Amino acid sequence: MSKLKIKNLHVNVGDKEILKGIDLEIHSGEIHAIMGPNGNGKSTLLSAIMGHPKYSITEGSITLDDQDVLSMSVDERSRAGIFLGMQYPQEIPGVTNSDFLKSALNARLEKPLSVFQFIKKLDKNIEELQMNENLAHRYLNEGFSGGEKKRNEILQMKLLQPQFALLDEIDSGLDVDALRIVAEAINSMRSDDFSCVMVSHYERLFELVQPTHVHVLIQGKIVTTGGYDLIEKIDQEGYDWLKELGVVLEEEQDQQPIILGSCARKVVE
Amino acid sequence: MIKITVDSSGIVLSQSDERINILDQTIQFVQSIEETVYVDVQLKEHESLKLSYVFESNTTCRLVERKTLNTQSVFHKDITVLDGAHIKMFLENLTKQSENVECIENVSIKKDASMSVGYAELEEANYKGEYLYTLDGEGASAKVRMAALSNNDMRKNYKVSIEHCAKYTSGQMDNYGVVKNNGKLYIDGIGTIQRGYSGSSSHQTNKIIVFDEGCIAQANPYLFIDEYDVKASHAAAVGRMDDEHLYYLQSRGLTKHQSMQLITYGYLMPVVEVVEDEDLKQHFEDVLLKAGA
Ligand SMILES: Nc1ncnc2c1ncn2[C@@H]1O[C@H](COP(=O)(O)OP(=O)(O)OP(=O)(O)O)[C@@H](O)[C@H]1O
Ligand SMILES: [Mg+2]
Repeated sequence: MSKLKIKNLHVNVGDKEILKGIDLEIHSGEIHAIMGPNGNGKSTLLSAIMGHPKYSITEGSITLDDQDVLSMSVDERSRAGIFLGMQYPQEIPGVTNSDFLKSALNARLEKPLSVFQFIKKLDKNIEELQMNENLAHRYLNEGFSGGEKKRNEILQMKLLQPQFALLDEIDSGLDVDALRIVAEAINSMRSDDFSCVMVSHYERLFELVQPTHVHVLIQGKIVTTGGYDLIEKIDQEGYDWLKELGVVLEEEQDQQPIILGSCARKVVE
Repeated sequence: MIKITVDSSGIVLSQSDERINILDQTIQFVQSIEETVYVDVQLKEHESLKLSYVFESNTTCRLVERKTLNTQSVFHKDITVLDGAHIKMFLENLTKQSENVECIENVSIKKDASMSVGYAELEEANYKGEYLYTLDGEGASAKVRMAALSNNDMRKNYKVSIEHCAKYTSGQMDNYGVVKNNGKLYIDGIGTIQRGYSGSSSHQTNKIIVFDEGCIAQANPYLFIDEYDVKASHAAAVGRMDDEHLYYLQSRGLTKHQSMQLITYGYLMPVVEVVEDEDLKQHFEDVLLKAGA
């Protein structure tokens, strides 16, 4: 059993503060959904956990059990079991997908896989994801369609078997069949040793992969946390009702800065 | 395996072969050869050597040359590809830890002949190379690819030129470089089409990735075209390693070093595609890994 703990996290891009105090605890076995309007900091949160150099942490902490995640390099975080399926995966010309996958797998093994073992593993996973086989031999994500890139992210997750998977809009660009396949892949990883944070704008993904916790992130803060009914409400009504709540909260904070921390979070029943 | 060794005392063929003639400083390929021919060239300090390859008409041949040139040595080479011959060559420069080494190659490609060449320039040495191709007969073509690495304060200078001296000729060069640890790399790519040589095409790409501060890299493309009815293009870029690429690879558990290695490898690897030879590919991979690329 593991725990990823984010405490009072403040994150800047350049001089601009994007995250303004995030508190979040993820225990293994849990699936967390994060929703929120565009440009409010969801990707920033996931990227900051992974360690993207563009984001600077100005306050707060991230720990994985007793390890200080913020003091680890990006690759150390990965080898410690954190995985980020990116909203916009990079295209890397010249590096073939299969060379990359083999190196990534071997990076966390004491003894490297033989070519035969690797190919067997790769083929099995590619088949399960019903991916086009030639994608393995092409350059990493180069010219992949939006949906192919997302499936390639899931392929990596399946191969690397992380303990904490952060999936940023993994459903965007997927056709209905692909969405089902990807959801199955995530569900098949569910266990007492696995947890997942999923960012998405759409209820459909959460229907297929039922979250245990649901958070809404607005203006750099988690403004409310709840269960599946929160997703349904957002799906029907959008965020306006929450934004109002957010504004009220900010006004309250201005007047009474002392209770700032506690009222930034509200649980919707 | 056909092996030829060349040094200042002469040319030695591992076993006599009626398809190959050795005359003085010339290796003459008189018939097509199926298997790969290996040529090893060794020059001691301050030596200078002239070597000629002649490929007779309508022959095909695949040749791998490995040269080790020591400090202050000069290697002159003439290559003649006669009418209708089709030659693939992989030229590996094994010169290490040497100063002021020079290599000058003059390649003449005749009517309807073609040459595909890969240059692997990965080792550490201060080196100057001039690789000059002329397309001397109608329908001649040259395809040149270079992979150059300049590491640890080394300085490498390359001039790669394809000159069109006949109609309907085609020249293509792709020069790729990686510079790290205060290395210096200069690549001049030159395409020239003289007046009257219509129907020709001259294309080139020159790309250098710089790994860290303190490196110097220049990729200079030149196109001299004095004829209207031709196709020509050139591109040159010197860029830093893309941080987003590094981040993506690192986020999958590869260290920064491993990530850079993977990117360099992918970047320089296409040079071995010129000769389709699995052993060679494996060998190139080993050299790249050893070069700490
Ligand atoms: N380099 C940058 N300079 C300035 N602002 C930036 C930079 N990078 C990101 N931002 C801003 O940070 C904010 C949060 O972006 P983020 O990508 O986290 O949003 P998001 O919630 O994931 O949105 P979406 O739902 O559209 O993916 C946005 O307003 C964005 O414009
Ligand atoms: Mg986003």
